[in-house]
Amino acid sequence: MSSGVKCRNCGSTDIEEDNARGDRVCTNCGSVLEDSLIVSEIQFEEVGHGSSAIGQFVSAESSGGATNYGYGKFQVGSGTESREVTLKKAKREITHLCQQLQLTQHYIDTALNFFKMALMRHLTRGRKSTHIYAACVYITCRTEGTSHLLIDISDVQQICSYELGRTYLKLSNALCINIPSVDPCLYIMRFANKLQFGAKAHEVSMTALRIVQRMKKDSIHSGRRPTGLCGAALLIAARMHEFNRTIVDIVRIVKIHESTLRKRLTEFADTPSSALTLDEFMSVDLEAEQDPPAFKAARKKDRERIKEIGESELTELQKEIDLQLEQDLKRAQKSALKRLTFGKDDFEEEETAEFIEKSNLEAIEECLADNPDLSEAAPKTKKLVIEGLKPDIESMCQPTASELQELEKAQSQKDDIGELSLEGLDDEEINNYILTHEEAERKNIMWKALNAEYLKEMKEKEERLAKEREEGKPEKKKRKSRKKIIGPSTTAGEAIEKMLQEKKISTKINYDILKTLTEGGASSSNNASSSDNAPTSSGIIKQEVKDIKPKVDVIIESGPIHTKHGRGKPSYSIGGPSAKIPKLEMGLPVGEPEPKEDAVVVENDDIEDDDAVAEDEVEPEPEKEYSSLKDMLNDGNDDDDYYGYDEDNY
Amino acid sequence: MDTTTDSIQQLPQQNVAVKNNPHASLLPQQPASAPIETNEAQHDVKLQNVVATVSLACELNLQDINNRTRNSEYTPSRFHGVVMRMRDPRCTALIFRTGKIICTGARNESEASLGTRKFARIIQKLGYPIKFTDFRLQNIVATVDLRFPIRLENLNQIHGQFSSYEPELFPGLIYRMVKPRMVLLIFVNGKIVFTGAKARKDILECLDAIYPILLSFRKN
Repeated sequence: MSSGVKCRNCGSTDIEEDNARGDRVCTNCGSVLEDSLIVSEIQFEEVGHGSSAIGQFVSAESSGGATNYGYGKFQVGSGTESREVTLKKAKREITHLCQQLQLTQHYIDTALNFFKMALMRHLTRGRKSTHIYAACVYITCRTEGTSHLLIDISDVQQICSYELGRTYLKLSNALCINIPSVDPCLYIMRFANKLQFGAKAHEVSMTALRIVQRMKKDSIHSGRRPTGLCGAALLIAARMHEFNRTIVDIVRIVKIHESTLRKRLTEFADTPSSALTLDEFMSVDLEAEQDPPAFKAARKKDRERIKEIGESELTELQKEIDLQLEQDLKRAQKSALKRLTFGKDDFEEEETAEFIEKSNLEAIEECLADNPDLSEAAPKTKKLVIEGLKPDIESMCQPTASELQELEKAQSQKDDIGELSLEGLDDEEINNYILTHEEAERKNIMWKALNAEYLKEMKEKEERLAKEREEGKPEKKKRKSRKKIIGPSTTAGEAIEKMLQEKKISTKINYDILKTLTEGGASSSNNASSSDNAPTSSGIIKQEVKDIKPKVDVIIESGPIHTKHGRGKPSYSIGGPSAKIPKLEMGLPVGEPEPKEDAVVVENDDIEDDDAVAEDEVEPEPEKEYSSLKDMLNDGNDDDDYYGYDEDNY
Repeated sequence: MDTTTDSIQQLPQQNVAVKNNPHASLLPQQPASAPIETNEAQHDVKLQNVVATVSLACELNLQDINNRTRNSEYTPSRFHGVVMRMRDPRCTALIFRTGKIICTGARNESEASLGTRKFARIIQKLGYPIKFTDFRLQNIVATVDLRFPIRLENLNQIHGQFSSYEPELFPGLIYRMVKPRMVLLIFVNGKIVFTGAKARKDILECLDAIYPILLSFRKN
């Protein structure tokens, strides 16, 4: 099957495409131009026990890449990447969940997309998958405005709704999904249907809707569960339409406590709308909006507090304030003096203090001048103090005093770090906390009795550990952290060295030679083996290879083939570099004279450059590749045949 | 002078005179729902809890400490630390084997410091060679009542990237401020809880930042 494509190596157009194997080979030079072709047709072949489809099926959602050549037979299912498996599982679970919630395919797709977004940003890590699925579905419900509550989903999934709420908030925040606030109106219809109003269901729910709207205007809804609001509205609406629904009936359906529901009802009763007759309520829209009930309650509390403070207590309060102020004044002056004696920089302090005193005096004098009636003015101000309900003494006076102390303390602590400063400590009081010997003995006995079980457990554990140690059992390994952070390295060699330092990967690697390799010796053997690495290892190494290229022709030839097909010899071949060179040369059957080759070299270089760029685009990131090298060195160390297409990290 | 706090000292000077006399700063006969100024709100900030930690830099025998003190609890099957309480200042300490102490429940910074030092002194009296290193305030919780209702839905809509408001989960709006890095719980009745502050001035700074925002979402 020749196509119009030219071979990149020799320029020949004799290219054979084999759909069964899924590759494209140049018949002239033998280089494989492409493998893992994807075709949209199905062919069948005769096998011993009947016929089977040629190749393997690739799903439309598959990200490509992972084919099951070589490994496929040993994998379960069609060889897919783990991510694909994850997505498949997510799809299944989300579909199941959505079906339980009676959501259509559209919601399933949206939820799955949210899941993919979460997966891409690694938000799924460290969270239970059920929570993630549920959160994705809930986000869908919220953005689409369905009448599903968080508790419905947590009910279906059998998970804690607060935990789910946390996951949901985290997801929606991280994915920058702006979710509209819950509208209690959404749930009216849903609950109304469950209350068996029969033919009047619509009317009742319309009335309930109106009530909820009114409640929203009076901000009863803010900070309250939508279910409570709906329950109250439905109860009122049902009664308005002469249905006999008790609070218990409602409670059973909206799943909220009776007292909450009652509270919503009384809150509604406190608004002027509740004073209207039924007909009036349905026809009249009151303009005025009420303050939220919690706000009203807070103000009521304030008023009560003011009332409580009677005239007699008032003067006491006043005295207390004066006393506190005076004390603070003295303290402040003292500390100001102290500071002055300590440091000369605090001139400002003194000046400001002076200014403050002066301006205070001025202000007072002004007041006096304005109010000739002194005797009247004084009590007035007293009253004002209370009616305005200003900060209590505590919050007015404490902070400054403590702050000054803080400052001093901080200073003293800076001076003598480590020494416990005994300032303000009362030894007698502290001694009171300490028990005498007898008492301690008694407490000890009691404690031992109370914690007997724990002590026994601990003893057993210790004995077990001691036994294990005697038997020479290795201590339990502590779980290693998933990723060791390796700092960025400037060169490929450095990176490899770091990796090697981290752990000895295989006994089959000749580390000494590897070391000489990374030291960047200009010997050809090094170059050859590093070119071996090139296709499978990091872009950094590739660059290194490119740099060397002009010198060694052999490498250039091997370059494109390797990078293209990922058929590079596994890097454990590093072990015997000397043996590899001749092999390499033999493996390149381009029998053309040297000068011509030079021309090709340049071309190849360009092409390879392009390839490299294209590959970079396809591949996630060079870092990942680096890790793949690591993995490869890990995996491939026992594999002795060269057939392993095991570099499926591409 | 006395009632001035850190930030108030930075105010322009004509205000200083007013600020220094707490009576002068009172607005006469304001209606209950009238909003108060930021500066006044700052007076209203009430510290509720201060958490401090200190390291005693010596290993402690918790069982011994528990046995020899009156005010302690130690249930290793439930919690790996001694819980020690104190009446004045009223606070609780968690004491660990490594010699680290966490002191919670103090009402202000100086109480936290005093309390922590008292706990350290108790342990010192028991004969441990303690040092008092690395004393640090870890968290300050404060409340303030702004006395005006707030439209939480609108606030959540506009400030969605910082806030979350889910009445199904929690009645308040949770606002995560970036600078200063703190978390605020904002309730519909205008009460606010600050948490995550390391110092008092963080709270005042935070209040300064949030006040105009909340004012713009004021109901009515």
